[in-house]
Amino acid sequence: MPRLCCCSCLEPRRGRTMSKKPAAQPTLHKVIMVGSGGVGKSALTLQFMYDEFVEDYEPTKADSYRKKVVLDGEEVQIDILDTAGQEDYAAIRDNYFRSGEGFLCVFSITEPESFDATQEFREQILRVKNDENIPFLLVGNKSDLADKRRVPLDACRERAQHWQVPYVETSAKTRDNVDKAFLTLIRQMSRLKKGLAAEVEDEEVKRRGNCCIVC
Amino acid sequence: MGPPPVVTGISPKEGPPGTRVTIRGEFLGTSATDLIGLKICGCDCLLSAEWKSKNKIVARSGPCKGRGDIIVTTRSGGEGTSTVQFRGYHESIGPVKESAVWVEEAAPPSLPWGRRPMSPTTYTPPDPLGLSTEGDDCKFPEEELHEMFPDGSGKLSDDNFQPGWYLLEHHSNTSYEDLKAGMVFLQRKVESQKEGQLSFLKANTGAVMDQLDRLVLLKNMYEEDQRKNGKEPLPSLQAAIEESITLADSLFSEILSRKDNADKTREALSLLTRHKFLFQLPASIDRNIRKKEYDLVVNDYTRVKNLFGNTDVKLFQKILAEIDKKIEDLKEKLYTRMKTMPINVQEQTKYIRLLISLNWDGDAAWVAITSRKEYLMTLMNKVKDHFKQKEEQESNEKGKRKVKESESCGGWSAVRGAWAAAAAGALAAQLHALWPLARRYFAGELAGEPQSTQRQAELKDMIIAAVELFSEHMRACLLAPGGKLVPTDTLRARLLANLRHLREAYDSLLKLDLPSQPLSIVEKVIFDYRVHGMSVFLQRAHKRVKGLADKETWKIEEFTDYGAITNLPHLLETYVNEAFAAIHKCVVSSGRRESPLLVEGGEPANTLHKHTQMILLAYVSVLQDLALHHDDQEFNNSNLSVALEQRLEEGPPAGRSWQQRLLLAGANAHYTRRHTLPSIAAAANTYGFPKQTLALQATKEALLGLESTIAETYLEHKGDPLVGTIEPSIDMGRHKTDADAVIDDARPYVYEIINNLIAVHAEVDSVCGAASVRYVRDICETVCEELARLAASAPPPPPQAAFQQRLEYTLLQQACAEHLTRKAENYLMEALAGIPPLESEEEKRRMDTIVEGFKKRMELQLASLNCHMETV
Repeated sequence: MPRLCCCSCLEPRRGRTMSKKPAAQPTLHKVIMVGSGGVGKSALTLQFMYDEFVEDYEPTKADSYRKKVVLDGEEVQIDILDTAGQEDYAAIRDNYFRSGEGFLCVFSITEPESFDATQEFREQILRVKNDENIPFLLVGNKSDLADKRRVPLDACRERAQHWQVPYVETSAKTRDNVDKAFLTLIRQMSRLKKGLAAEVEDEEVKRRGNCCIVC
Repeated sequence: MGPPPVVTGISPKEGPPGTRVTIRGEFLGTSATDLIGLKICGCDCLLSAEWKSKNKIVARSGPCKGRGDIIVTTRSGGEGTSTVQFRGYHESIGPVKESAVWVEEAAPPSLPWGRRPMSPTTYTPPDPLGLSTEGDDCKFPEEELHEMFPDGSGKLSDDNFQPGWYLLEHHSNTSYEDLKAGMVFLQRKVESQKEGQLSFLKANTGAVMDQLDRLVLLKNMYEEDQRKNGKEPLPSLQAAIEESITLADSLFSEILSRKDNADKTREALSLLTRHKFLFQLPASIDRNIRKKEYDLVVNDYTRVKNLFGNTDVKLFQKILAEIDKKIEDLKEKLYTRMKTMPINVQEQTKYIRLLISLNWDGDAAWVAITSRKEYLMTLMNKVKDHFKQKEEQESNEKGKRKVKESESCGGWSAVRGAWAAAAAGALAAQLHALWPLARRYFAGELAGEPQSTQRQAELKDMIIAAVELFSEHMRACLLAPGGKLVPTDTLRARLLANLRHLREAYDSLLKLDLPSQPLSIVEKVIFDYRVHGMSVFLQRAHKRVKGLADKETWKIEEFTDYGAITNLPHLLETYVNEAFAAIHKCVVSSGRRESPLLVEGGEPANTLHKHTQMILLAYVSVLQDLALHHDDQEFNNSNLSVALEQRLEEGPPAGRSWQQRLLLAGANAHYTRRHTLPSIAAAANTYGFPKQTLALQATKEALLGLESTIAETYLEHKGDPLVGTIEPSIDMGRHKTDADAVIDDARPYVYEIINNLIAVHAEVDSVCGAASVRYVRDICETVCEELARLAASAPPPPPQAAFQQRLEYTLLQQACAEHLTRKAENYLMEALAGIPPLESEEEKRRMDTIVEGFKKRMELQLASLNCHMETV
């Protein structure tokens, strides 16, 4: 089952050539990467976008990426806003969040402070969006550094459970679960936009969340 | 031709001109030379573009503004597209904006519009080997490096750069493979740069030519400029600058001097104004006082004190003294006003505040409170005097016509009512003013430190004194013993009105949240007044009951189970009921926070009880008087026919004979005892009064006593004459008796007795109905006793006479069978015992025959003796 959703992410390569003539604009999903500085938001984004792992660290201000992916046989466009994790930019976050439709809240499993910070990000997003059911994914990054792990898996799951959001552990370095994280979120957004009943969505999310942790 | 370039990522997505952006995408050129065009937001940025890989270009944004695409053009793929956009903006430079320009070592050629906001601390030159130093924690000790390379440096940009140092410093932990890869990377980079420069020139021939043209143009312009301004343009420029400096200086100093002048003028003006204010103040104070704008005066006074309070100028001091005098006068005036009553609280408060703000030495608020209290006292007295006077006046006026009419009304006169209303109103109004004033005073709202406890106690005493005065007046006014009777309705209305006045005053005091002591004083007055009202009603009823004697008409109202009664019992019930109803309506219902009037065992309850008893006993004595009072009139002891002639219904009521009145009174007493008293008890119960058990009991006993007195009297006057006739009758018959004659009938005295009994029975029965039995029975008893006495005193008769006597006794026994008591029978038996018994059966038979015959003959008489009025 987890393989299945990863397969779909290989599709978009084919679709890229078609971008020259955008005939009928595919649905656009605006995803925003949030999380403390240095947890790997940009690394995840670049890995997802270009299969590339950037070793050197340069603090992001605000980067914008967009590409097409095929999700469950349908071509959609994903717009990723990679935001600044540093507190210096906290003031302008509100503006960014307002335009977001789905959020990947990233922390580093080697850094408990970043895990703590997710709480604040969650609150800020809920405050700005004023919607409990906004598509949202809790992402624990740097899963390749298992020996340096300092945030227990249980705590992560518990928080995701509490927020009723899925939890995924990724590694931007090994590309582990990267596509899954993005696609899970996009699927949520897509369903929400298609007007599926909220409670069905919730169930789905729970089920999915659990299985992701397993894989 | 390959696929066209697509830009899918931009980092950052916005920035001011010169921002270093990383452009990512696909097919961005196969090599640096393949990249032939880069436009960000329409600005050509190719010059700053640095091709990194087919997926990544780093460039600097141009002087663009707003949002726009990033278009990459390659030789292999042509013009590309962009899925993301860059937004350029121009930073506005403010004083707090960090704007220093730092020259960056590894910076690309600085661009004419370029500004570099990056601070040097954030800049670290990229690793030349393209290897990450991340996670490289264990650093090579610096001292060793210095030892190893004494003249060297590890910095890439230094002249004495030592690659060994750099490698040891940054890559001491890097694996050999990585280092090799880094080497390859470095070589490629060097290659690409070399190649890049060459290709750059080739690719931009047009631009280079263009630049040459520009340079030529620049040269021409410069030469022309030189021709125009000569070789040395500087002196003239300097002269111009110097001139402008002087001009600016002169302009500036002029402005400065003007400002100085303006300041001085302003100062002088303000001084003038202040002095004018001072000199005009006395006049303006006068004016404001006239206009009653005391606040203005206070403000002015405070201001002048602030401005000139410490002045040494004689003139000023003089004026100040004048002002002080005026203010003193004003204080005096305000003080008088504050004390002068009547005045409403707002105004008084205003005066108090003014006095306080004028530093009046004294406790203004306290004075106000005291004066208010004094005023209240005098007002009360005034009200009292006024109404007293009025009352006197009225009584004098009326005195000419009817003596002492007004005074006789006592506490119920209209004047008294008005007095109560006025006094209650005055008390309520003044306390309404006084109490809040006092409360604010003690809350410290009226400034002036209240000398708490002592003053509190004084205030309390004051209020209590006022309330006590009020209650004293009200007692004098309302509780004065009432004189003549006024109509009950008027009385009730006045009582209610007066009560209402008192209650209104009480209510308004309650609202004030006064201490409980003064409240209870007022409540006591109300309570006493209620008790007073109750007593008045009861006294009134008492009086009326006493007067019942005059109302007795002896007209029979109805025949009841207890005999024929006149309207006396009904009147009693009505009077008592009326009194109860009035009491219930007027005084029993308690107002707010008043104690209930008739508490079981309480004083008023006892009064009520006492009065009730008095009323009822008065009634009993009235009955008694009526029954036993006779103008030496003797009983009508004539025979039956006379008694029957005086038909009760038809007879003139006034002319009721005494015996009838006696019987009627008895019936009345009986009825009252059995019927009226329970209904009075029921009425008391209905009105929720305490049970009047004792009074009722006492009355019952009194009535019982009265009834037996009446019965005895009746018996005495009626039975004695009857009995007296028996002996003479027997004797009278004896002379005619023939000793040998056959005895076939009783002697006439038997018939007389029977007839007399019938007459009594008829009379009593007509009045007393069922109760008549008692009277007849008593008389029968007396008759029997007399017979027994006679039989005992007479010598034993001869047989013939014995038979006769036996016959007579038997006949009497038969006739009076219904009315004979045990005692009466005993008497008869006694009489019979003295007679020798019948000797033969024949005699017995004879007697039976005679008795039967007697019964037959006397059937009508016997029937009338043994029946009651109703059954006839």
